[in-house]
Amino acid sequence: MIKVLFFATIRDYTNEKETTAEGASSIEGLLRFLCARYGPEFETEVFEGEKISDRVIVLVNGKHIAHTGGPLTPVKDGDTIAVFPVIGGG
Amino acid sequence: MDKFGSIVRINLTTGSVKKESLCEKTMKEFIGGRGYATKVLYDELPKGTDPLSPENKLIFANGPLTGKGAPASGRYMVVTKSPLNNYIASSNSGGFWGAELARAGWFMIILEGKAQKPSYIWINDDKVEIRDASAFWGLDSHEATDKLLAAVGDDKAKVACIGPAGERLSKLAAVMNDKNRAAGRSGVGAVMGSKNLKAIVVKGSSRPHVENQDEMKSVLATAMEKLKTNPVTSQGLPTYGTAVLVNIINQIGGYPYKNWQGAHMPEADSQSGETLARDFLTKRYSCFGCPIGCGRVTKVGDREGEGPEYESIFSFGVCCGVEHLEPIIEANYLCNEYGLDTISAGVTIAAAMELYEKGYIKKEELEGGPELKFGNAEAVTYWTKKMGLVEGFGKKLAMGSYALCEMYGHPEFSMTAKKLEMPAYDGRAVQGIGLNYATSNRGGCHVRGYTTSPEVLGLPQKLDPAEYQSKPTWVKIFQDLTAAIDSSGMCLFTSFALGADDYAAFLKAATGFEYDAAEALKAGERIWNIERLFNLREGMDTAEDTLPSRLLNEPIPEGPAKGMVSHLPEMLPEYYKLRGWDAKGIPTTGKLEELGLQ
Repeated sequence: MIKVLFFATIRDYTNEKETTAEGASSIEGLLRFLCARYGPEFETEVFEGEKISDRVIVLVNGKHIAHTGGPLTPVKDGDTIAVFPVIGGG
Repeated sequence: MDKFGSIVRINLTTGSVKKESLCEKTMKEFIGGRGYATKVLYDELPKGTDPLSPENKLIFANGPLTGKGAPASGRYMVVTKSPLNNYIASSNSGGFWGAELARAGWFMIILEGKAQKPSYIWINDDKVEIRDASAFWGLDSHEATDKLLAAVGDDKAKVACIGPAGERLSKLAAVMNDKNRAAGRSGVGAVMGSKNLKAIVVKGSSRPHVENQDEMKSVLATAMEKLKTNPVTSQGLPTYGTAVLVNIINQIGGYPYKNWQGAHMPEADSQSGETLARDFLTKRYSCFGCPIGCGRVTKVGDREGEGPEYESIFSFGVCCGVEHLEPIIEANYLCNEYGLDTISAGVTIAAAMELYEKGYIKKEELEGGPELKFGNAEAVTYWTKKMGLVEGFGKKLAMGSYALCEMYGHPEFSMTAKKLEMPAYDGRAVQGIGLNYATSNRGGCHVRGYTTSPEVLGLPQKLDPAEYQSKPTWVKIFQDLTAAIDSSGMCLFTSFALGADDYAAFLKAATGFEYDAAEALKAGERIWNIERLFNLREGMDTAEDTLPSRLLNEPIPEGPAKGMVSHLPEMLPEYYKLRGWDAKGIPTTGKLEELGLQ
């Protein structure tokens, strides 16, 4: 089972803080699976055409996917995925 | 008055008030605010001056953009010699006070000496008076503000003041303005208290001068478009405030837990910006001219106030092992009222908790107060109050984490850099921010060079927080740019959407000086170096460019960044080299000549 956590405005599209998923082997596959579950608003936020949007930050076990292989980053049972909008503060 | 505003030099010992012209050459080279004031302090303050003596100088300084229509341009700086570490103190604050000072025609206030009795300064346009503040001494910042406004008979005036913490010389004391905005760090409030100065009340009626209005309008339009379309400045910060960072910093495993004994808190969402917005937020607060509005107005029970920011949630929350927001909000309110720096206050309590749990602070010393155990919410609010009032065991806490831990023989528990308490990002999980803490001229500070932005948030580009080889370059650039932004009078948060080109364009429009991005960065570098020179003159050993041994030698014990330590020793030589300093971290003659600082 893969654990997926949602944060900030992403929760507006999922109406829940977290969920679980199984069967996906990559981040892109997982996000596509979640788009089917949460609908077009979520998809618009997470994807920009065929690409994962620059408006989201996706972490796999705390590592940004930019540093783990991008959309092809493998995911497996026991992983924790976190999805954030681009945010800032200080 | 001078077109960019004048300098008023006030000697509180003699009562003299002198108007001086600002030097346009210095303004061009050091911009204003943090830069110009540091130049004044460097030129005028004798080496070795006791920070809490009448000989220290306390400078309130606007930037050339403060109050002039650029977005989020209500910032001013308080610059002095810090009583916390004897090095440069330069604390930045927003609200409306700085803009009002600009409207009164003043660019900078230089305070010298010590008043014989509690005093405040009343600035009404070009009239500057030193007045008796005996009736206001002892009041918290909120009560004092209300009564001072009544005393001057103008409720549109703006007040910067100290609370009991500053009066009683707590080295964690802040200068508070507009009740809840803080020039918080480095003990600047204690320096104000040492001068018997309760407040500076300002009212202005003129429109601050902008050299080229048409150019300003054009630059403003471009910048506003960027701010309105940037997701951070148009959505994240307005909706959730800075506390939106709680979850992401926790998720990467860099959220300092129980005085940096850990870096991940499973329950962090209960203290997140999302929870704050859902359960406690009543409205947003915007400083002067700010289109972002990251400030939080909150309510807990029958108490309403402002905050907390991300940093305060960290310091009183995760750092003290406290999970829920109610006591964190209450501690934050207390800091606003007593005039305490929230980061230093919470991190000092966390250090005291470690000392207590390990048996170095004894229960009897607490005089019946709540036990200093991690997770004890009652202890956080109780000891914040005692720290603010500087009474009982709170006297020891009011000295700050380093002095406290040293007193008990365990300075290694003090999570400080150059004796200033570190903020809310673990330098083991986020390598660049650790280098920034270690090299920050005022000590452990995130907003001297906020590399968390590229390292965690992916702005302006995505850097791996665990990688360290590229970080010296980023840290230097961020430190230099930040010094320029701080000196301009604009808020650092605009930099999520704006770049060096934008700030240079604003400075050029406001002053008429030929700034471009390179020139602005060069001014930032000049400011960074003069701060360094100030510290070196005060006896700073460059071996102090370091982090607590915990970050260098104790791997993060759990969470997503498990096993990581800071690679500071590998980064520091490259950082010195990039700065044009020698291998020991001393600016070279060549670098100083290049910057005009020889």
